[in-house]
Amino acid sequence: MTAEERLAMEPGVGVALDEREPYPPGDLAIWIFILAELLVFGIFFAAYAFTRLNHVELFNHYQLTLDRNAALVNTLALLTSSYFVIRGVVAAREGNNRLCARWTWAAVAMGGVFLAVKTTEYAHHIGAGVNLSTNEFYMFYLSLTFFHFMHVILGMVILAAVALKAGRGGYSEDDHTGVETGASYWHMVDLVWLILFPLVYVMR
Amino acid sequence: MNTTGTARRLIRPCTLVYLVLVLLTVATWAVGTAGLGGLPVSLLVLAVALLKGHLIGDWFMGLRSVRGIWRWVVAIWLLIPGGLISIAFVLSDRG
Repeated sequence: MTAEERLAMEPGVGVALDEREPYPPGDLAIWIFILAELLVFGIFFAAYAFTRLNHVELFNHYQLTLDRNAALVNTLALLTSSYFVIRGVVAAREGNNRLCARWTWAAVAMGGVFLAVKTTEYAHHIGAGVNLSTNEFYMFYLSLTFFHFMHVILGMVILAAVALKAGRGGYSEDDHTGVETGASYWHMVDLVWLILFPLVYVMR
Repeated sequence: MNTTGTARRLIRPCTLVYLVLVLLTVATWAVGTAGLGGLPVSLLVLAVALLKGHLIGDWFMGLRSVRGIWRWVVAIWLLIPGGLISIAFVLSDRG
């Protein structure tokens, strides 16, 4: 396989207008699911911003109690996991199941880093007596991040299933929709966090 | 020697996008850690976040290779909550 052919295996590459696909990579059903998820998160984000409108001082004050360093580590963990997932997709498109499994397991591990860091954050806040009823800011912080936390867990389960199947040689150059489907879901989880991070931890 | 091919092998487009995303993330974190705030800074941070989201959609989700409405589905999603968040922050700044 030439360098150009390998390059064309990457998502987003090979984009001459007449070469573009009618549908995104992966099963179309996952994209309907992704759109529904994005809608819910979008409403959540707007609700946060408009609730803040009437409690600016409170939101700005309690935002300072959040651990931005932990949020940075988590953002980098999700970005890195998304990168590993892409490498897994490229490997699957090349028919290299073994490599696909390795990259995908690495992505799952980075998801584990995210969960570990986030759990530490929750333990700190809950240990300090914070709960959903403490105030409007913490209500949004806990519910929004925990909703996302659950999506990370689901994404890791999906990626683990992909990695297991790849490990058994279950994909080929012609049949790797399952890898692309899992990857699309995981990128959505990453995408949502990329808005959540600045909105909740930085913007004030 | 095919230098173009060599350069392409050295760094993949997805690797380049990943590095840009990391840099923008660290910049966002630095703004927060420096305690910078106010409407212009918040809107700039949000714009960077929307750009990062667009890069994820285009290069990681592969929408750059898709035509029609699916090509823009993530970009449209980014603009709607992004616009609403911007309006809320502008209103809070005036209030």
